[in-house]
Amino acid sequence: MKHWWWKVLAVGLLLLASIAALRIPLAPALVHVTPDRIAPGTAVLEVTGYNTHFTEPGVMQAWLENDGGKWCARAMEVIDDTHLRITSLPVPAGLHEDLSDLVLFSGTDGLLRMPQALWTEGTATAPVTEMADCVPANTRSGIFFVFPNRSILYETIRNLHFHVPMWFAMIVLMGISVVFSVMTLSTNSLAHDRSAEMAAKVGLVFCALGLLTGAVWARGTWGAFWTNDVKLNGAAVTALIYLAYLVLRGSVQDGYKRARLAAVYNIFAFVLLVLFLFVIPRLNAVDSLHPGNGGNSAFSDLDMDDRLRAIFYPACAGWILLGVWMFNLRVRAARLADQLDR
Amino acid sequence: MRTLALLPLLLLAMSAHAQNAAPNWLESTLYGSGKMNTVVIVVAVIILGIGAWMFAMDRRIKRMEERIKK
Repeated sequence: MKHWWWKVLAVGLLLLASIAALRIPLAPALVHVTPDRIAPGTAVLEVTGYNTHFTEPGVMQAWLENDGGKWCARAMEVIDDTHLRITSLPVPAGLHEDLSDLVLFSGTDGLLRMPQALWTEGTATAPVTEMADCVPANTRSGIFFVFPNRSILYETIRNLHFHVPMWFAMIVLMGISVVFSVMTLSTNSLAHDRSAEMAAKVGLVFCALGLLTGAVWARGTWGAFWTNDVKLNGAAVTALIYLAYLVLRGSVQDGYKRARLAAVYNIFAFVLLVLFLFVIPRLNAVDSLHPGNGGNSAFSDLDMDDRLRAIFYPACAGWILLGVWMFNLRVRAARLADQLDR
Repeated sequence: MRTLALLPLLLLAMSAHAQNAAPNWLESTLYGSGKMNTVVIVVAVIILGIGAWMFAMDRRIKRMEERIKK
C-alpha cells in the first residue's frame, strides 16, 4: 500500500467522476415552443420540455415576460411529462420588446425560463397593464443535484468531464517533460533525457485524445468536426511542435548531443504550448467559438457551475494521475530495454 | 419537369407544417436524447485510445521478454 496508493486513487477518482459525469441528470428545461410568434389577443402555445415532470401533481403556472412585465396564462393542459399546451395566454397590445420570454413554474421542476422564445407582434412604447396574479412568491423546486441544461449543448455538457481533463493531463505531462529537460541540461544525465522523452510521448497520447474528443464535440454542437478557430489551430500547432520534438530526437545519433539538443528544444516547445493554448486564444482581438476564449464565456460563468466543478476537478485529478502512471510505466519499460542493450 | 415545378409548393407546405409542430426528427433525437450520442462517442474514443496505448505497451514488453529468452 506504500507505493501504489496513488494508483488506487487514480482508479477511484476516474470511476467516481465518470459515473457521476454520465449519470447525474440534466436540469429540466423548456426546449421548444410552437408557434414561435404571438400577436395581441389570446395565444395557444405548445411547449416541449426536456427532463421535465409535467404530469406530477403540484402547482403549475406559465406566464409571458416582456420588458419586466408579466402576463399569466389562464388555462393549460398537460399532454405528458415533456409536452403541454397553454390553451389560453392573453397577449396585450403594445408590448415593448420584440421578443418575449416564456416562463413556466412547477413545484417539481422549479422555474423554467425560455428566454426570447416568442416573436411579439403589435409592439409599442406605451405603458401596458401587467397581469401577474399567478406568479408564485416562492419558486423553489425539488431538484437537488443536476447539470446545467444549456441550449445547443444539452447532454454534451457532460463532455466537460472527459474532453477537458485530456488537455489537463497533457499539460501536466508536458510540464513533467520540460522539468526533466532542464534537469538534463544541468546534470547531463541520459536517464533524465529518457524521462523527458517518455513524458512528451504520453502527453501526445492525451493531446491526440483531446483533439479527437474535441472534434466529436464540435460536430455535435457547432456542426463541424473542425473549424478555423484560434483555440483549435493552436492545439493542432502544439501537437505538431511536440511531434517535431520526437523527429528531432530521431535525427541525432549521439546520445549526449541528442539529450542536450532535445532539452533546449523542449523548453521552447513548452513556452509555445503556453502561448498557443492559453495566451493567443485569450487575446481580445481574437474571436473564438471555444468556451473560455476570445471574449467567450467559459462554463464557469453558468448557473450552478459549482455542480459541474464538483465532478470536473476529481475527473481532472484522476486523468492526470492516470497520465503520470502511464509515464511511469513507459520510463520503467525504457529503463529495462536499456539494461538489455548493455 | 412538372414535379420540379411542384417542389417550391412542397417546400412551402413543409415550412408551414414546421411552424405548427416540432419536426419528427427533432422530437426523436434532440428533445428525446439531448445529443447524448455525442457523449457516448467521446467516451468510446477515449477508451479506444487508452486501449490502443495498452496494446502498444504490451508489444513493447513482449519484445523485451523475447530478447531475454534469447
